[in-house]
Amino acid sequence: MTNTIQILSIEKTGKESSLQKEHNNKSIKIIDGYFFSRNLDDQKFTKISKLISNDVSQTILTKKNVNKVLSSYSNFNWVVEIKFLPGVTDNTATTVKEIIKDNLKSSFKSFELGSTKIILIKGRKEDITKISKNEANPLIQTIKIYPFKKYLKNFKKNQFKIEKVKLPKKKYSKKEINLDISDYHLSLIGKLGIEENDKSRRGTLGLDLESLKTIRNYFSTIKRKPTDVEIETLAQTWSEHCKHKIFSAKIDDIQEGIFKKYIKGATEKIIQLRKDNFCVSLFTDNAGGIEFNKDWIICHKVETHNTPSALDPFGGAITGIVGVNRDCLGFGKGAKPIANTYAYYLADPNKKYQLYRQKNKDPMLPANFIAKGIISGVRVGGNCSGIPTPQGNVYFDDRFAGKPLVFCGTVGIIPKKIKGKLSHKKKANPGDIILMAGGRVGKDGIHGATFSSEELDPNSPVSAVQIGDPITQKKMSDVIIRELRDENLYSSITDNGAGGLSSSIGEMAKESGGFIVNLEKVPLKYNGLYPWEIWVSESQERMTLAVPPANVKKVINRFNARGVEATIIGKFIKKEKAIVKYNKTEILNLDMEFLHEGYPKLNLKTSFPKIKKEKKKIIKKSSLIDKLHKLLSSPNIVSKEFIATQYDHEVQATSIIKPLQGEGRVFGNATAIKPLFDDEKSIALSQAAYPQYAETNPYDMAGCSIDTAYKNLIVSGANSKKIAILDNFCWCSSDEPDRLYQLKEAAKACYDYAVAYQTPFISGKDSMFNDFKGFDKTGKSVKISIPPTLLISSIGVVDKISHLTKMTPDEDDILLVLGNTRNELQDSVYSKIIGYEKAKNPVVNSKDALRTYRNFEKANKLGIINSAIGIDLGGIGIAVTKMAIASKKGLTIDLKLKNKISVDQFLFSETQSRILVSLKKNKLANFKKIFKGSDYTIIGKCTGSDVVEFKDNKKIIKGKILDFAKSYKQNIKGL
Amino acid sequence: MNVLVLSGYGINCENETLHAFEVVGFKGKIVHINDLIQNPKQLNNYQVFAIPGGFSYGDDTGSGNAMAKKILTNLYDQLIDFSLKDKLIIGICNGCQILINLGLVPSLNKKDPEVAMIENKSGSYECRWVDVKVNNNKSPWLKNISILNLPVAHQEGQFMIPINLLKSIKANNLIGLQYINNHKKLAKGQFPFNPNGSKDDIAALTNQNGNILAMMPHPERAFYHYHVPNWQNSTSKKFGDGYKIFMNAKKFFA
Repeated sequence: MTNTIQILSIEKTGKESSLQKEHNNKSIKIIDGYFFSRNLDDQKFTKISKLISNDVSQTILTKKNVNKVLSSYSNFNWVVEIKFLPGVTDNTATTVKEIIKDNLKSSFKSFELGSTKIILIKGRKEDITKISKNEANPLIQTIKIYPFKKYLKNFKKNQFKIEKVKLPKKKYSKKEINLDISDYHLSLIGKLGIEENDKSRRGTLGLDLESLKTIRNYFSTIKRKPTDVEIETLAQTWSEHCKHKIFSAKIDDIQEGIFKKYIKGATEKIIQLRKDNFCVSLFTDNAGGIEFNKDWIICHKVETHNTPSALDPFGGAITGIVGVNRDCLGFGKGAKPIANTYAYYLADPNKKYQLYRQKNKDPMLPANFIAKGIISGVRVGGNCSGIPTPQGNVYFDDRFAGKPLVFCGTVGIIPKKIKGKLSHKKKANPGDIILMAGGRVGKDGIHGATFSSEELDPNSPVSAVQIGDPITQKKMSDVIIRELRDENLYSSITDNGAGGLSSSIGEMAKESGGFIVNLEKVPLKYNGLYPWEIWVSESQERMTLAVPPANVKKVINRFNARGVEATIIGKFIKKEKAIVKYNKTEILNLDMEFLHEGYPKLNLKTSFPKIKKEKKKIIKKSSLIDKLHKLLSSPNIVSKEFIATQYDHEVQATSIIKPLQGEGRVFGNATAIKPLFDDEKSIALSQAAYPQYAETNPYDMAGCSIDTAYKNLIVSGANSKKIAILDNFCWCSSDEPDRLYQLKEAAKACYDYAVAYQTPFISGKDSMFNDFKGFDKTGKSVKISIPPTLLISSIGVVDKISHLTKMTPDEDDILLVLGNTRNELQDSVYSKIIGYEKAKNPVVNSKDALRTYRNFEKANKLGIINSAIGIDLGGIGIAVTKMAIASKKGLTIDLKLKNKISVDQFLFSETQSRILVSLKKNKLANFKKIFKGSDYTIIGKCTGSDVVEFKDNKKIIKGKILDFAKSYKQNIKGL
Repeated sequence: MNVLVLSGYGINCENETLHAFEVVGFKGKIVHINDLIQNPKQLNNYQVFAIPGGFSYGDDTGSGNAMAKKILTNLYDQLIDFSLKDKLIIGICNGCQILINLGLVPSLNKKDPEVAMIENKSGSYECRWVDVKVNNNKSPWLKNISILNLPVAHQEGQFMIPINLLKSIKANNLIGLQYINNHKKLAKGQFPFNPNGSKDDIAALTNQNGNILAMMPHPERAFYHYHVPNWQNSTSKKFGDGYKIFMNAKKFFA
């Protein structure tokens, strides 16, 4: 009789060897443990153990063998036991339960089960404490450290315990909230949450005093008190996360707000100018859609998951990626996710920042723990979902120490018409059934939407963390995309993300009028949730569908046949009312108009900020080759191959331009997939952000982001008429006038450059308060704000396979730089690593840029360009060495300088809108014809040798490609 | 010629696998495992049974284990029947892990798995292109193939084989594919040529009959010429190496 199954691997696992190496200790062993809530008799123990282990590679520990087996590895003396906290998603346990259910049927049921990681070590207690800190996150896991002797005793006496959710079994009675209280008490509700009967608070609502007064006024007109559920719902719906109040607010003299004027305004202007069918669905849906070919639409959406990733990097990132996958599933009638993108803005993983949320306690996770967790979260989310993740980048800066930025994007594809109806149109009709499909609801992520709108401070609720379960989502997604959608069995669909049901149903009901929901019908992970928790919970892997009554049975059966739960939880109605009931008691009854539009509009003022000048740094005297090595190996330029190889970018067999390019495997800045077997068109993807330029000039920063994201697609071979962009603003302290000034400037640049390039914004998102308020190790209070970061993601259509470019020149090719080079070294990688030179920040001249791009496009279509690479961080010098590394072919560069700039300025300036290309000699004449009147410089040729050489007037400086490759492929310290 | 391509519970390469079979001339269908369990007789309509790559059950309890246990509980006898006829079975990546966990390859004794798939030596997920050579193997899947350039994408691709069993695997010629280095010699465990540290550079195993192939690399992802890295520099104009595997299946029935 026992209540645990514990399995260890006979040979050393990869995880064990990395732990052993990291801690310089050969006596470390990991056990996979499963703790059961009831005892297993010997027969069941044998049967279940066999089902969940492999006797070739693993040993099952029993009371009889435990001593002998473990002592054969080492003389262990300490144990760390890591379990998930009650209620945290435990994917392994779910799988084991399913295996048992399938095999033992009803002979073993009604049990709970938790998966556990047990690490054994021979060493000092300090060692195991250190290991436990690196291997577990106290926010989602319990960590127990005890002597090995106690472990053996626990084993023999069945004393391993599973963590169960313990919620008070109280009967729910409707709770009314008195808002006729002082301003002080009213603001407490907004800041700390609704007060429970025991005087404790539920956690922040993110409602300011004015919003609460607006709510009070509404209820005094309808002559009753609000219920707790109503206040919670309004807090979710009105959150910055859901309503983007700052982007829609009046700002200075811009009445309509910067979103309407600059972002949507740009797209509207472009549509008016272009008069084509390229833009299909913009801003209103979960993702933005454009035309791919005459039968298909593609959509793209990029989200951020910053705050959750600061608290639980793995959980935050996996939830970020599977969450944005659902945005595609919720585009129109449901698009199939076909590619993921990522961009991480992180603190230096090699530094110890030692920040605390409260004085001397509640430390921030270490920077390397955050970086590793984020990278693996997206890996597990993307790989397990069978969606390729080809496109991404990572950028490091100390100012992300308090909040990492985690951008996760997804591209989807959907037929234009389904059963003769436009697929991007959807409408929940009155009478349609509200169906919730996918996972169950628990306490996960309660208050996620309201809290991501707030700064990270000591009162941030820790329950605002979810862990994604990609397999549950994959099962659900397969049913929707492959079966239900194409039979037109539902009228509308949307995902459950921030705000959970309150948000998804609230949004969909705009299509029909209103809704009635019966909350007691919602399937729960465990009992004891209050109605308001069910209503706002952000448990993952759920879609909400509007299903005509006649199809409901069929839809539910189809889900169930694929192992997916689907439940009727209410219906859509014509009346413009939002109504929620719990066991027949009405707990919410609001006018739809007030729910969605009742929030007080902000009135923002900006002021010109003090410009933080780049700190002067003495130039280090070193040779050109040495400088190249320093730049190549710097974290923001060094290859990100280690991420590309752990993200499956080949699944779906669509990868056509891969993240690692050329024989020498250079990490490219654009990738392409070919999504349909029967059409040679591809989708090219890229992205760009320049937080390093933000403080100097936010307008130019935004211009550079748009230019780079656009240029990378032109360079990859995309059709310039089929490029769309997405904006993700991650800002800081957005209640301060100078930060708002920077925001307004950046948004203005968005308008100017998008209109100039005729590339529409199709979707966007913002996250306005990426600040950390806490304490350093001495207990001094600190505030760390991220630099304003605007990520521009670009998506474009490449018409023909032959238009796709490569970055590898051939021997005897001529090398040219397209575009003019100016001394724009300010805030460059060079000035950070090598030293400060008096210079300007990069400014995009859209006219010049467009001339270069149009000519490039023309030349490429004619087969004149042999290879090409966009010039960005590190300038021409880095672009040249990357070309040499990728092709493994030597280049010679003639340093003919124009515009009175120095060699270093020429090689390392980050002037925008430039492309390094190579041509076959015999194409030069044709090239010159096309580029007549356009800026370009012939800078050298491809020699095919093993060196890159730079010819100055007199001397020739050489560097070996192999050495450059070594610097470029260095490991990032701390990762 | 009909192929059944299995799906469900996190398998995710079914579309491209079916497509590859269709291009070489098969008719095929993607069938959800629950539908197959409901109606196992439909297997009679097919000549090829393909388990594609993916992440069935998220690799929980070991890659391929949970799905193998589901098949073992619900479909095992039917699958054995299928394998004993003049029919073909292929498992790619996660499919390979499932076949190994079912004990269908190398199947030198019966039922219990004899080989285990364990974590890559690097400890991390590896998505990269490798070269493999066909060992002198009589499997119809591998006929007339010498070297293939294919991608792998897995976390647990290391074949763990007890020494005595490895001897009989070699004696019976059941090693299907082996990783080779850039000089076309066995990789001898050297990373990245051997991406996972498999003993004897094993990338695929077959059963004694040769009609069941369990391979870690993905032939369906190297099907067209533009799948191959740096295809712009290559002269091959239509197909990649993966095509050959699917053509062999066609030739077997032709």
